[in-house]
Amino acid sequence: FFFFLSLDVLPRVTCPNHPDSILVEDYRAGDMICSECGLVVGKSCLCFINNKNCSFQGTGAASFDEFGNSKYQNRRTMSSSDRAMMNAFKEITNMADRINLPRNIVDRTNNLFKQVYEQKSLKGRSNDAIASACLYIACRQEGVPRTFKEICAVSRISKKEIGRCFKLILKALETSVDLITTGDFMSRFCSNLGLPKQVQMAATHIARKAVELDLVPGRSPISVAAAAIYMASQASAEKRTQKEIGDIAGVADVTIRQSYRLIYPRAPDLFPADFKFDTPVDKLPQL
Amino acid sequence: FKDDLSTSPQLFTPMSPYDVDLPIQTTEDVLFGSQFNQPKELPTDFSSVDLSFLPDITQDNKEQNLSEDGHEMQRELDGSTSRNEDSSIFMDESSLSYPDATQPSPEGPGVCPPLTPMTPMTPVTPASESSGIVPQLQNIVSTVNLACKLDLKNIALHARNAEYNPKRFAAVIMRIREPRTTALIFSSGKMVCTGAKSEEQSRLAARKYARVVQKLGFPAKFLDFKIQNMVGSCDVRFPIRLEGLVLTHQQFSSYEPELFPGLIYRMVKPRIVLLIFVSGKVVLTGAKERSEIYEAFENIYPILKGFKKAS
Repeated sequence: FFFFLSLDVLPRVTCPNHPDSILVEDYRAGDMICSECGLVVGKSCLCFINNKNCSFQGTGAASFDEFGNSKYQNRRTMSSSDRAMMNAFKEITNMADRINLPRNIVDRTNNLFKQVYEQKSLKGRSNDAIASACLYIACRQEGVPRTFKEICAVSRISKKEIGRCFKLILKALETSVDLITTGDFMSRFCSNLGLPKQVQMAATHIARKAVELDLVPGRSPISVAAAAIYMASQASAEKRTQKEIGDIAGVADVTIRQSYRLIYPRAPDLFPADFKFDTPVDKLPQL
Repeated sequence: FKDDLSTSPQLFTPMSPYDVDLPIQTTEDVLFGSQFNQPKELPTDFSSVDLSFLPDITQDNKEQNLSEDGHEMQRELDGSTSRNEDSSIFMDESSLSYPDATQPSPEGPGVCPPLTPMTPMTPVTPASESSGIVPQLQNIVSTVNLACKLDLKNIALHARNAEYNPKRFAAVIMRIREPRTTALIFSSGKMVCTGAKSEEQSRLAARKYARVVQKLGFPAKFLDFKIQNMVGSCDVRFPIRLEGLVLTHQQFSSYEPELFPGLIYRMVKPRIVLLIFVSGKVVLTGAKERSEIYEAFENIYPILKGFKKAS
C-alpha cells in the first residue's frame, strides 16, 4: 500500500543546477542523484501536493567539500504558496503518530484538508483546528471512529473548536458521516484496559442489547459502552474500577455510574448466553 | 441556550394560535414608531401604565429623580458584582441574536430561498391533520434605537437594578421586574431587550427601559423597534428515534451525541432551527414572527410522528 502511493504520484524533481540532466536512482538510499554533478535531489518523500521541485539540502557524501563543510545550501522553500498546507500535513502526521493511526487514515485526512483548504470557505479558522477536525472525520469515514476527546488529547485545540470545525467542514464538503455506535470503541477500550477477548465480546453484547432494549435513551454511546465494559469486567475475573474505565474512555465516573444504574436492572438479559461468570449476576455491584 | 432550556415550560393549555394575546395594532405601532408623541391604545392589562411621554422632559423632573435615586447608587454598585455571572448569559443571548440582525437578509419574512425542482425541502403537511399542540414562546429578543448618545456611567449610578462593568462588557445591563426582562443599553443609544414571553411584552418592556433612560435626563426616543429572535418550545408527548431522523433527513439534521444530546434540525422554509430531543421535547428558535414558529412545528410534527419509538 505504501509503495502504491509513491508510484502513483511521482514528484517531478530536477537538479537545480542542471535541469536537463538525467536523474539516476541510488538503489541503496532510494534517492535520486544528478548525473552531472552528483547532487542528491530527491528523497523518497510523498510530496504529491504540487508539481514544484521539492529538493532538500544535500546530505549525501558527495555534497561536502574537502574541509567537511556542506557545499550546497539550497534550502529554499520551494512551496511558498502552499507552505501552510505542508505545515498542516506535518501536523496531521504528528497527531496521527501519537495515537498510531495507519497511513490510510492520514492520507484521507490530508485529502480532506486539501479540499477544505482549496475551497477557502473556512479560511479564517486556525489550520490546526481544521486539521484536527479532518483527522476526526477521516477516522469516522474509515469505520474506526475516535472520540473527540481522543483527538483533543493529541491536538492543542479545544473540543469545542474541533466540534465547530467538524460541523463546518461537513457543511463545506457536503458530506455526512455515519452515527457512532457502541461497538466502534469496544476493541480499543478493552485492549487499553487489558481485558481478555471474552470480556470484550460480552461488553459489546451488553451495550448492543442495552441500546436495542432502549434502556439508555439519550445517553452518549461512549457512556453506554463504558458502563457495559464496567458490567462485563465486574462479572469476570478481570475487574476494573469505574475510575480506570473513565480514564480510558474519557468519561466521568459519575457518568458511568448513571448509565450503569440504567442497565443494572436488566443485567441478566444483557449478558451473552455463553458467558462464564466469575461473579454471578446477582452479586454485581449496585451503585 | 442555557437560559431557555432551564426555564420549565408550563402546562400547555391548548389554545388557538390566534388568541387575544396578539393585538392587531402591531402594524399601527410600526407606522407610528418614529413619531411617538401620540398616546397609545394598549390592551387592558397595561392600561394602568402611562407611556405617553414626549421627547423633551422638564428640568425639575430630572432633578426630582436624581434626589430619589441618589442614595440608591451606593447599593447598586455593591449589588452589581454578584450579577456579573448573569451578564455573561445575556451576552451569549445577544450574540445569538446579533448575527441575525447584522446579516443582510435579502429575503423578507416568510419568503423562501429560490426554489428549484432540486431544492431540498422538508415535506409539507396536508391541511387536514393538525397536531393540536401549540408551541409556547419562551423568549423574545428585540432591539430599539433610543437615538441619542448615552452616558453609561451616569445611567448605572442613578438607575435601579443596573450594572455596568466596562472592562467586561461595554453596555449597561438593566433589569425590570414587570415584564421580567433584561436590557443591554449601549452608549450609542441602541438597546437590546431580552427575556419577554410575548411580542407585546417585549415592546412594553423596551418602552419602560426607554422611559427610565429618559427620566435620567437623556432625550430618548423609541425608533425602529424590531423583534430579532423568538424562541418557542413544546412537547410532542412521545419519545423520538433520533437515529432514524438523522438517517432520512441528513441534509437538514445534525446529531452528534458527543457534542450535544439533541438533534439540530435546520428547516429551510421557514428558516427555523429546531432542537429535537429523545424525550419528545422540541425547542424552536430563529423566528422573526410567531407564525414562523407555528408553521415550523406543524411541518415537523408529522415527521416526528413517523419516528415515534415503539414502546
